[in-house]
Amino acid sequence: MPLWFFGMIELERVSKVFDGKRKVAALEDVTLSVGAGEMVSIIGPSGSGKSTLLNLVGGLDRASSGRILLDGQDLGVLPDDELTRVRRDKIGFIFQFFNLLPTLSCLENVSLPLHLRSWPRKKTEERARELLGLVQLEHRLEHTPEELSGGERQRVAIARALSIYPPVLLADEPTGNLDTHTGAEILRLIHDLHDRLQATILIVTHDLNVAQSCPRTISLCDGRVAGDERR
Amino acid sequence: MILLRLLSWPYLRKHVLRWTLTVAGIVLGVAVFVAMRTANQAVFGAFNRTVDRIAGKTQLQVSAGDFGFEEEMLERVQAVPEVRVAVPVIQAVVDTGLAGQGNLLILGTDMTGDRSLRDYDLESGDEAIMDDPLVFLAQPDSIMISREFAARNGLELGSKLVLRTMEGPKQFTVRGIMRAGGLAQAFGGNLAVMDIYAVQRVFGRGRRFDRIDLAVKEGVTVQQAQAALEKALGPGFQVEAPSARGRHFEAMLRSYSLTSNISSVFALVVGMFIIYNSFSIAVTQRRSEIGILRALGATRAQVRTLFLSESAIAGLIGSLLGAAAGIGMAQAIAKSLGGFMEQVFGVAQSVDGIAVEPRLLVLGIAIGIGTSMFAAWIPARNAARVDPVQALQKGKYQVLSAGENRLRLYAALASSAGSVLCLIFAGAGRLYYAGYILAILTALLLTPALALLLARLLRPILRWFRPVEGSLAADSLIGAPRRTSATVSALMLSLAMVIGFGGVTRAIYGSVVEWLDTALNPDLFVAASDDLANRSFTFPGRIADEIEKLPGVDQTQKVRSARTLFRGVPVTVVALEMSKFGRKVRRKPIEGDVDEMNRLAAEGRGIIVSDSFAGLRGIKFGETVELPTPRGTLRLPVAGIARDYSDQQGTILIDRSVFLKWWNDDTVNIIRVYVKRGTDPATVRREIFEKFGARRRMVVLTNEKVRKHILRLTEDWFAMTYNQIAVAILVAVLGIVNTLTVSITDRRRELGVLRAVGGLRRQIRHMVWMEAVTIGLLGLVLGFALGAVNLYYTLGLTERDFAGMRLSYLYPVALAGALVPVMLLVALVAAIAPGESAVRGSLVEALEYE
Repeated sequence: MPLWFFGMIELERVSKVFDGKRKVAALEDVTLSVGAGEMVSIIGPSGSGKSTLLNLVGGLDRASSGRILLDGQDLGVLPDDELTRVRRDKIGFIFQFFNLLPTLSCLENVSLPLHLRSWPRKKTEERARELLGLVQLEHRLEHTPEELSGGERQRVAIARALSIYPPVLLADEPTGNLDTHTGAEILRLIHDLHDRLQATILIVTHDLNVAQSCPRTISLCDGRVAGDERR
Repeated sequence: MILLRLLSWPYLRKHVLRWTLTVAGIVLGVAVFVAMRTANQAVFGAFNRTVDRIAGKTQLQVSAGDFGFEEEMLERVQAVPEVRVAVPVIQAVVDTGLAGQGNLLILGTDMTGDRSLRDYDLESGDEAIMDDPLVFLAQPDSIMISREFAARNGLELGSKLVLRTMEGPKQFTVRGIMRAGGLAQAFGGNLAVMDIYAVQRVFGRGRRFDRIDLAVKEGVTVQQAQAALEKALGPGFQVEAPSARGRHFEAMLRSYSLTSNISSVFALVVGMFIIYNSFSIAVTQRRSEIGILRALGATRAQVRTLFLSESAIAGLIGSLLGAAAGIGMAQAIAKSLGGFMEQVFGVAQSVDGIAVEPRLLVLGIAIGIGTSMFAAWIPARNAARVDPVQALQKGKYQVLSAGENRLRLYAALASSAGSVLCLIFAGAGRLYYAGYILAILTALLLTPALALLLARLLRPILRWFRPVEGSLAADSLIGAPRRTSATVSALMLSLAMVIGFGGVTRAIYGSVVEWLDTALNPDLFVAASDDLANRSFTFPGRIADEIEKLPGVDQTQKVRSARTLFRGVPVTVVALEMSKFGRKVRRKPIEGDVDEMNRLAAEGRGIIVSDSFAGLRGIKFGETVELPTPRGTLRLPVAGIARDYSDQQGTILIDRSVFLKWWNDDTVNIIRVYVKRGTDPATVRREIFEKFGARRRMVVLTNEKVRKHILRLTEDWFAMTYNQIAVAILVAVLGIVNTLTVSITDRRRELGVLRAVGGLRRQIRHMVWMEAVTIGLLGLVLGFALGAVNLYYTLGLTERDFAGMRLSYLYPVALAGALVPVMLLVALVAAIAPGESAVRGSLVEALEYE
């Protein structure tokens, strides 16, 4: 039985409305399920709700209505600290603009999530070194983000996202800020990690090449699911 | 700890200046706190040590205020069976005339009996005196000095020392040198002992003593002896342990202590504001970092703890530096404080070093850390509340919700109603202060709404002035009222404080000038000392009669003043020739009729009291006041309440005839001299010198000199107002820099777009400057409004608890007028750096923000 048979991420009639001078519905009545170990791309035009969907699944934001289950846990009913713990233990984020801390070295950036979990210093450093090795940056341990190329920065961000080997990896336009060649390299790395770690991966992208490289693609349009294609 | 190293330390290294400023805020607060208290303790300690050392084995002291009493009192005290030994004492402070040596405290005692109370501990070579004090007494020019004073001035046994006495400069012979320690260390070592009868003569004390020191018989308790003496001597005398003088000294300096406490609190509040500012900026600038942390799994508590730990560390460093700086400052403050007290209160001080109290240091450090963490609490809480989605998107405003505004409005209404109720029922002191606090709270609660309203009103003006920049500057303020209101509130509070204190200063200064114009109108003042507050020396009353006979003199008035205890607090009794005084001085009383008041006082049927006396002691017009005198309790009704600044604790004016009858003392401190019309006061001054100068100690001061001296002292007292203006400027600069930094960070993208569509750097700068000036203007308008309320309460506070003075409400319009250009200019200057930062950022990066 394939791993994805077990729903790792479940959305049941999820809507997200942003309050302001005018209410804007970013997601409307979205229902979908992503199995454990699946690698899914999410595509759609700007404003279709891709990033909002990712934020909701990642527990960074809360849905206005509907239920989101992550590994069987209903995120909507969790208090803030519990939600933080889910994020901390089960989710790794990869951002378009990397969001590395500029003052920290690569090693320190990757260590940060482990420090937040109060890991012992030695174990933290070993894991960070191991991960930077995994993304082939063992020669850049003490460099700060400013001293790295765009592709290298994204590798550091990926290593940081993997620091606890999370069961779910969420990537928001991971190649959006990279040139074609580097983007392809990062994509290969994500695929490689997926094969080795069997994590559930959700990739939000504009890039059709990135989308088509994933076994499954969900299309969003005006906040609704417009298509769900498996290859 | 690891987060501090990974996150806080790099930020600190990148923003050294801001962190230095943050720490400086705490240094300032703790330094002022430690310095003021250490200096206060040093001054009080020096006074108490002098009292203790001079007291020796004295168990009780008999006194009658500072007036002293006749010699016969000694026999009455000695006749009390519980008394073992009783010795008369006179203390006088004289200028040594030696460069850098200051004053010398002369202790006049009857050495034949005194050695059982005080150990002079003479050095070898003085055996004659040790064995037989009569050797010392037989020669009236004998003086004993401390080893310290002798060493400092190269004096030894047999050396001659010239002192300014009432009989003019007089040469004394050193016939004893006391070993260092004990008595010899009193008054910082500047102590000399003389025979009391010699002191009476050379310092013009007549046949009077200042007090009697005594020890009780064995088997008798001090309390028993005290009760027996009080019964035997009557209510006109104070029978107290020597330590009671320290308490009186503290009571006398109550208003000074209150002022120094206000300064300490003010410094801490400023420190708190600086920390709040710094941490608010830090949270704004590190918002994306916080967002990343939160996205990576940091809990709110971890984020909050991170910022609070930073504030605790800043607090610790600042407190340690502040405590060190405070100790350094304390020495200088204590010295100038001692001198100031001598000039204002006439209480000679010799601060011989400061003692650093570990408890005070611990308290200072704890206050520094506590203040730092308290001030950082709101920014830390805001950091914990950062929404990771918004933080990672950047460029989001934090706008007050309508619900929160309503809540604030209701709270403001409730607190203003409470404030009014407190004012109506403010019979009790605490309710008055509660009303004051509620009024300030109302203003703080209304600030966001009022700032928003004013910004909206100013928008058309700004737009007319500069269509694009003006509109954007106003919109920035309107769009984020919370961001603006923090700085506007701080500015409002500090300006309200300046207006409040400025108004009180102006009112007091005006009253002092009025008092100088009306009551202190003689052409010349003849005194026994340069310092009018020094009452160590007196003249016989007949000197005034002799001066009056001089050709150019129209009239003289004899004045005798000294402190006496009224309900346990020292107040000044001024004995005047009221009928003469009333003819020359037409001052408007605060209560009572001027003619009736002067008539009753001149007939010895009433007293005139200062508003400070009435206010602080709760005495009403017409009420009978009971005054202790050597002849018993004097009871007289208050015939009038008038302004008088002779003593901050209160003044009682009585007729000289009453004084002669009840105190039996015909000496005078000051002779007020009015010259005949057309006569030059300088000529009369010369004549007085020619007649008396050679044979007695005498100072003749012109009206102008006395006036200048009193006004200078008044200005010194109010120097705090100028410090507060400086602090208001500091608050304005920091607040505006803070607000603009946050505003620019918030609107990075908007500014980027503005530049991308053709906005010139110059235009962006103008926009930032206009925003700053508008913030300054909002602060000024609200600060002036709250200042009006603050002035009302500060005047009330001055009357109720500070000085008892009844002052007129006069808004300091000139001060407010002067503050407008200063604060607007300060706002503009504060906007320069943020303006540059707004135009220097990377345009591409700014536009990348989603």
